[in-house]
Amino acid sequence: MKVADNINPNIYEKGSAREISKTDLDEDLKDDFDQREIFDIIRNICDPEHPLTLEELRVVEENNIVIDNKNNTVHVYFTPTIPHCSMATLIGLSIRVQLLRALPSRFKVSVEVTEGTHVSEHAVNKQLADKERIAAALENNNLVQIINQCVKSV
Amino acid sequence: MDPIWFKEDLADEIIKQSYIFNETQSIVTDIVCDRIDITKIVENMAGVLTHRDAENREKGMRFFTKLLKDLPQSYLNQMQVNFISKFYIDRLKDNHRVIPAVLEGYLAIMDMKNYEIKLCGEYFNILFREIACQSQLRQDRLNIYLTVQKVLEKDIDYLKSLGPDFVFGLISSMDGERDPRNLLFLFNFLPNFLAHIPLGHLVDEMFEVISCYYPVDFHPSPDDPAAVSRDDLAKALCPCLCGAQEFGEQCLVLLIEKLDSSLRVAKLDSLRLLTESCKKFKPETYSPFLKALWSSIYREISHKTDEEIKMAAHEALSALVANLATSHNTDQSFENFVKGIIISMQTSVAESTTVAQFVHATRVLLSVANSSKESCIIVARSMIPAIISYYEFKTSAKLQVASLEFIGDLYDLAKHWDVLNDLEKQANEIIPLCLTSVSEPTKEHQMAGFKTVIKTIHALKPDLVLPFVEILIHIVQHSEDDDLLLISIGTTNAIARKYPELIMDLVVKGKCNMDNIMSDKTNLQKRLNLLSNLASIDDFTKVILEEMLKIITLDEKNAYNIVEALNTSLSNASLYTEEKVTQIESDHGLIDSILSWLFKEIKSASEESLLHGYTLISNTVCSLPGDKQILILARHSPNIIEKCQSEDVYFPLLECLYRSLHQNINDPTFDDILKLSLKNALTSKSVFVRTRACCLVAHILNKAEFGQTFEMLYELLKNYLASCSKDNEDICSPLIHLYGWIVKALILRGSDVFTFWLQKILLTITNPECCKDGSEAIRLIMTDQPDSLNSRLHCRTSILYKQRIFQAFVTMSSKLGPFDGETKEAYLLSWAYVLEKAPKTVLNIEAAQIMPLLVDALEYDNKDLLVVMIDVLTHFVLMKNLLVAQSFQTILPRLVKLSEYVKSMDVRIKSLQCLYEIANAYKTALLLPYKTDLLFDLAPSLDDKKRLVRNMAVRARTRWYLVGAPGEDKTE
Repeated sequence: MKVADNINPNIYEKGSAREISKTDLDEDLKDDFDQREIFDIIRNICDPEHPLTLEELRVVEENNIVIDNKNNTVHVYFTPTIPHCSMATLIGLSIRVQLLRALPSRFKVSVEVTEGTHVSEHAVNKQLADKERIAAALENNNLVQIINQCVKSV
Repeated sequence: MDPIWFKEDLADEIIKQSYIFNETQSIVTDIVCDRIDITKIVENMAGVLTHRDAENREKGMRFFTKLLKDLPQSYLNQMQVNFISKFYIDRLKDNHRVIPAVLEGYLAIMDMKNYEIKLCGEYFNILFREIACQSQLRQDRLNIYLTVQKVLEKDIDYLKSLGPDFVFGLISSMDGERDPRNLLFLFNFLPNFLAHIPLGHLVDEMFEVISCYYPVDFHPSPDDPAAVSRDDLAKALCPCLCGAQEFGEQCLVLLIEKLDSSLRVAKLDSLRLLTESCKKFKPETYSPFLKALWSSIYREISHKTDEEIKMAAHEALSALVANLATSHNTDQSFENFVKGIIISMQTSVAESTTVAQFVHATRVLLSVANSSKESCIIVARSMIPAIISYYEFKTSAKLQVASLEFIGDLYDLAKHWDVLNDLEKQANEIIPLCLTSVSEPTKEHQMAGFKTVIKTIHALKPDLVLPFVEILIHIVQHSEDDDLLLISIGTTNAIARKYPELIMDLVVKGKCNMDNIMSDKTNLQKRLNLLSNLASIDDFTKVILEEMLKIITLDEKNAYNIVEALNTSLSNASLYTEEKVTQIESDHGLIDSILSWLFKEIKSASEESLLHGYTLISNTVCSLPGDKQILILARHSPNIIEKCQSEDVYFPLLECLYRSLHQNINDPTFDDILKLSLKNALTSKSVFVRTRACCLVAHILNKAEFGQTFEMLYELLKNYLASCSKDNEDICSPLIHLYGWIVKALILRGSDVFTFWLQKILLTITNPECCKDGSEAIRLIMTDQPDSLNSRLHCRTSILYKQRIFQAFVTMSSKLGPFDGETKEAYLLSWAYVLEKAPKTVLNIEAAQIMPLLVDALEYDNKDLLVVMIDVLTHFVLMKNLLVAQSFQTILPRLVKLSEYVKSMDVRIKSLQCLYEIANAYKTALLLPYKTDLLFDLAPSLDDKKRLVRNMAVRARTRWYLVGAPGEDKTE
């Protein structure tokens, strides 16, 4: 068995569930998408190496999400636990797949590594931005299996 | 003619194996009646007992054994028993075929009254020499063990005198036993044996024979009807392994070895063995192993996911510490061990960055402190100061809250072990820390601080009361948060119990002085709540209540607030006991004051404020003993009844006085009151009065004594309703409402006549004009009302009444119909109310009848109906009911349609949740045909305007994506 890249990562506190406000319960008001909602969709994705969520490892954080309701765009920046993490692409792919399944099709989604946190950040970003490579990856059963296992607990 | 056993032909008869084996009972009768001597019978059997064929000798012995078993145990005299015993012992040397009968027979001999225990010495001698136990059949082996057990029960001292040879014999006969039932017997028997019989030089051999089964690895065969489970065996084996102090060292070596194994059951068994062994072994047994034990236990405690192992490890640790603690005066190792644990846990506490890590470390410490008085002192002495300084340098709010909770728990343990005197210095530091915490602006800090103060109230010094009171009163006046208000009041109450004088000066006569409160109107209610809570403490009752009642009688404007505050506090039974309320009533005349206030206000005040008054009266009445209740009634009811006759607005006063009477109070005026209530229930213009009247009818019916009293009232009710129901159309709706109350009252007292009234309600559902009232009545029956028909108000209640209604409803509704449009909706709605409250397990039985209703209901545009029906559907889905799967073709499109139901987000959320659960529950093969369509249909919900709906849509859609996809691990 391959030993994980980062055997002993730092673990952080899990945030509490979003509190349900009065406006949430009001039938007539329209709730816009916000950072927190996108974060809630991806926080529970599991790390491929540890039984921990991306939130606990601080791979994704609420503040690293940019959303624009008017122009229908979502940018997610994620931070690998160590700069030479070989799983970075896989994590990015999981986030992308999850957002693809869980967001309305009007949004244009981009997933990138936070600047300066990975040795080959440009290569990873390029791969994640390439629609055809993503589509090809999702044809690969082994890969889909790993991704499905990561997003299962969401 | 004499039967055969009087002749020598008996032997031949036995050889022939004929009916004779069934005749032993007659032979025994003959022997007991002295018609024949047992010697004679044996003589007649001679031919078969000494036959040269082993096969026939076996038959002879079998017959003899059967005879002995049937004989009364006290019949044979000592000489006869001796003789027969000698004969049997001699037979042990015979052919192997004969042995089973001998073993069984000897067991019967040992039970005889005149059996001398010393005879068994020779028996065992020959037995162990001549017979290899493990080559016998299962039952015969068991018989051998049973003989040993018998001797152990009869005469332990004799067994001891048999010495090591006997022990060795037993060891060799047990060695290699494989049958689970026999093993279970041995494991149950051995601890007793080991506890009494010294093993001498055979300790190692004995331990080896037992320990070879450890850890038990056994799977019962699937078709065994009375299987012995692995856990039974493992549980029984534990006490054997630590049955004798001499096993100590070997047992611990074994246990540590198995703790390090990678097998989960081995770990669990070892931890349980350790727990068990701590009850038996002396503390010094553990000294050489403590390091190894702690490192293994700690490893298991740190287990991330397996809760069962974690719990077992905690228990083992507690047991070990408790055992070691018995040597705290003589041996240093206990203290060193506990200190070692503290040091390593302090490191983990210091390193922890999340609450989970912190709690994990502190739980270990709590386990240690929980296990003995001595360890509790050591842990608390070093951990309280450590945590206090930890609180100061860790700034994360969650960790600070967790540390406060830990200190509170530790203090509780110290209280439990009664060691607070040894901890005075440390405990004094706790309250200032709480003060720091409650001074923070966040709710979490304040809540945690107050909770800890309540726990550690004994350590509160008078000089800190003032700062706490300042903060508490500030919160009471300004906080909007209910939890925080509640705990602040609780804390004030706790402080007041410890320092009544201080709180009296600072709060009751100081900050919350009545005059003061009344002049300052802001947050009046909250401060009144505080005061009415404090009034439950004896020292305060008089002062506060007198003030309050004075205001109720004099001041009209704010009396309402006081009534509300009193009502809230008095209905809290843990605060105000029945005795306390009775005392308040007799000392201060609470009911009188409230009644006169109500009389004054009844026509002007709002319904809500009056309601507080009514509830307050009924709650006070219900706490009074029967004789006091009668007095109250006698004083007030004539006047009120008279007023009611002319104006129905006074009726609620009457109702609140009568609502909570004891069952045995029987007043001749009840007839009139029932009539009056019925009249009001049907004809009053006010909905409130009608409901109160129905409620009183229900209470009177429910409480009436069984027998004549009830019959008379019931007749009266029936006659009254029969006389008025036909002619007047206005009373149709109130009448159906009243039926609902009657059904509820009757079913709660366990009376079967409720079906008559339920039938009437069901008939109304088929009528388009009043079907809505019918389903409302059903709702009323199924819902619990806080202020009526419960045991606090001395009503009869039956726990399973909802189930009975459900069953009655199922039978009755099958005869109803046909329905159209409106009535169908009301019909489904009534079903919904019944299904919503009926116990879910009962629904499963009637699934076939309910399913079509669910499917139908999904098409109606009625929010209440949809919410309940989708819930019930989801319940069936969770039960993996196949009926749901059979209607997927209809259900799924309807649910999808409901996921865009505009009028209610609840319906949208619930239908999406149901779709999610469907994907979770059923086999892939059943779901796959619908997957593509569903993924497409669920997309619009992802952009729903409500976030809560979107969240559920995300769950449902991502779950459906996994259906049949690689990586979905579904056990099918």
